[in-house]
Amino acid sequence: MTSIGTGYDLSNSVFSPDGRNFQVEYAVKAVENGGTAIGIRCKDGVVLALEKLITSKLLKPGANKRIATVDRNMGVVSSGLLPDGRHFVSRARDEAAQWRQLYKAPIPTSALANRMGSYVQMYTLYSSVRPFGVTAIVGGWDSEAELPVDGQVGSGPKVGSGGKKGGVKHGGPFLYMIEPSGLYWGYYGAATGKGRQIAKSELEKLNLSDGTLSLEEGVKEAARIIYVAHDDNKDKDFELEMTWVSSLDGPTKGRHEDVPKELREEAERLAKKSLEGDDEDEDEGKMEE
Amino acid sequence: MNHLPQAWGRPRDDVYGAYDPSHFQNAAPNQHTQSPIVTGTSVVAAKFKDGVVIAADNLASYGSLARFTDVKRLRKFNDEVVVGFGGDVSDMQYLDRLLNSLDIRENYSNTESSLNAKNLHTYLSKVMYKRRSDFNPLWNHLLIAGLDGDAKPFLASADLLGTTFSSPTLATGFGAHLAQPIMRRTIPDEAAVQNVSKDDAISLVKECMKVLFYRDARSMDKYSIAIITKAGVELTEDERLENQSWAFAESIRGYGTQVN
Amino acid sequence: MFRNNYDNDSVTFSPQGRIFQVEYASEAVKQGSVVVGIVSKTHAVLAAIKRNAEELSSYQKKIIPIDSHYGIALAGLASDARVLSNFMKQQSLASRLTYDRAIPLSEITLRIADRAQTNTQQYGKRPYGVGLLIAGVDSKGPHLFEFQPSGVTQEMVACGIGARSQMARTYLERHLDSFGGCGREELIKHALRALKESLSQDKELTVDNTSVGIGGIGENFALYEGQDIAEWLDATFENREGGDDEGGDAMETDS
Repeated sequence: MTSIGTGYDLSNSVFSPDGRNFQVEYAVKAVENGGTAIGIRCKDGVVLALEKLITSKLLKPGANKRIATVDRNMGVVSSGLLPDGRHFVSRARDEAAQWRQLYKAPIPTSALANRMGSYVQMYTLYSSVRPFGVTAIVGGWDSEAELPVDGQVGSGPKVGSGGKKGGVKHGGPFLYMIEPSGLYWGYYGAATGKGRQIAKSELEKLNLSDGTLSLEEGVKEAARIIYVAHDDNKDKDFELEMTWVSSLDGPTKGRHEDVPKELREEAERLAKKSLEGDDEDEDEGKMEE
Repeated sequence: MNHLPQAWGRPRDDVYGAYDPSHFQNAAPNQHTQSPIVTGTSVVAAKFKDGVVIAADNLASYGSLARFTDVKRLRKFNDEVVVGFGGDVSDMQYLDRLLNSLDIRENYSNTESSLNAKNLHTYLSKVMYKRRSDFNPLWNHLLIAGLDGDAKPFLASADLLGTTFSSPTLATGFGAHLAQPIMRRTIPDEAAVQNVSKDDAISLVKECMKVLFYRDARSMDKYSIAIITKAGVELTEDERLENQSWAFAESIRGYGTQVN
Repeated sequence: MFRNNYDNDSVTFSPQGRIFQVEYASEAVKQGSVVVGIVSKTHAVLAAIKRNAEELSSYQKKIIPIDSHYGIALAGLASDARVLSNFMKQQSLASRLTYDRAIPLSEITLRIADRAQTNTQQYGKRPYGVGLLIAGVDSKGPHLFEFQPSGVTQEMVACGIGARSQMARTYLERHLDSFGGCGREELIKHALRALKESLSQDKELTVDNTSVGIGGIGENFALYEGQDIAEWLDATFENREGGDDEGGDAMETDS
């Protein structure tokens, strides 16, 4: 932070002599203090999970959902400033709705990530605004089937133009992460927030690029990673929030939904068990000493 | 010489000088839709003690031409509401997209209860009235069938003028003349609804669809029917009229080519 | 003039990723007199302390009924609350007009939250200087939401904001488990006791300085003031003399 006091970090959209945009870097700091958020791209769907820190006993348990749905088939989880996260989501919903108005079909996840990347980037360009204090993970399932066009009420002619090439794979699970700078990448496993370093190293162990992890395994891994990334000693209590989206013939039928209570609780139970397992090992080790 | 179509029948420029092109304009006020183009005919619906039955055939006519024969005019909104569309099919498609976007918005949060039939009827009637007030009506007559806020059967209509109406039985278009009297024989008032079972209501509506097919030249024998109860929406879109009897046709006189 | 270089406006992040202007706006909430809210399975209650500028002046408006199914209580800049409450009234009416539906409380809360967020990301705007408690009943039952100037909103079981509200929150946390099953009258008593906790020693709740708002299942949200709350005040603080576990001391000083 040698730059503090030089004046180049006081306004958005200003470069320092060595080519940095400090206000964007400071926005990233806001993200780094938020609860851990992760996304896993499995072979048959995407899981999003969030460590929701309990800031007060008076909060209503189980309420205050933070993973939002965009269109029907996509979810957004973010870490950082909560109201900025909502701004991000509301823009994402507008983009998805606008896309539908124009193309009469749902927006592909990649297109949404692209548009949101552009939108977030615009908030780094002007001194009249500040960058987004969030990093957002977007997960979605683009339909593998040929969907009816919005407003279609019949099947239309069986022959003629508009057909698709056979043997081409359409759709599938997609995962993107958008940073305060507007930068975004596609991911197999993405993590942001306070516990991102631990979460990332856990995600790397899953060999997600092999495309073998199933959605249900993904849910359990996601829960475990959030529990591992949570620091019991330093952090407040947390609630685990998890959503998923599967293929049309999977459990969510192509929709982005909450992970069912039973499965989430099962995943949490396993997550706690795996943590206890670690502790027990340690304890045993100590006793042997 | 100018051979462009707009010069046909006009004085030659080389003889009479350039024609003032403003004369080509037929200056008139802006006009919106004055009549529907591709149309669906009747929608019929009746309440019964646990829900509502609604039906419409699968035909979209282009004038008197039976142009599209697999058009689904009953649109399921959610697990407790179905909207039936009579009138212009492209306007129906617009409304379908409108309802689709509304449904997406309503489902962002899964903790809130979704719109019921009464909510949707209020909304659609506002849409229809707004458009007629803009002199740009959506050329439809809608029936909204489902359950209201107390999970009681709900049936109401909204038309291209934004007029609303509610009754235990409803029918649009030709059905308003032909089906409505038949249904009123069984269900004259709200109190009678309690005595009507699901099967009664289904056979009543099917009977009406048959009568309409007999007498409405813009109808067909393939239709969709939906039953909305607390258990959800049961929608079939490829029903066919059964046990047709055209014997009555023999006794009709005064049309066609018969001699006496 | 400023504490540091990063607190001039709401579009500048500090090196730690904080936005000081927003944090300062939250301080404005703490300047306002205390308000509390509690929900049970059937009711939502708001209670507030009203201040008066001088002996002969009228008391503040702390609880504003918005629609027949809910109302808000405010702490902080009252004029900001008026802007927000007008917006909420208009949105609530629009929902009733277009859908014939009472607007869900979560929905209206998010709408003001989005408005508040905009004020924290654009130059020339300032964050709202008011905190709100939004309480009432919708199709999913009773709810209580807290709104902060930052645009953060949270659904709560019970909440207190405003001057010395930590005392009220401590009371609420201690009785948290009992709220769910509370009846209407019990819930009001809890709210009044929580309010009393936040009062400085030399002050007490009177019919002049206290407001109560109640919404319930099958019951429209209504504001109670003046003699309408006299019975509750009497009943609540008589009870405490009768050996309630807390505040016994405070009560003794009152009597």
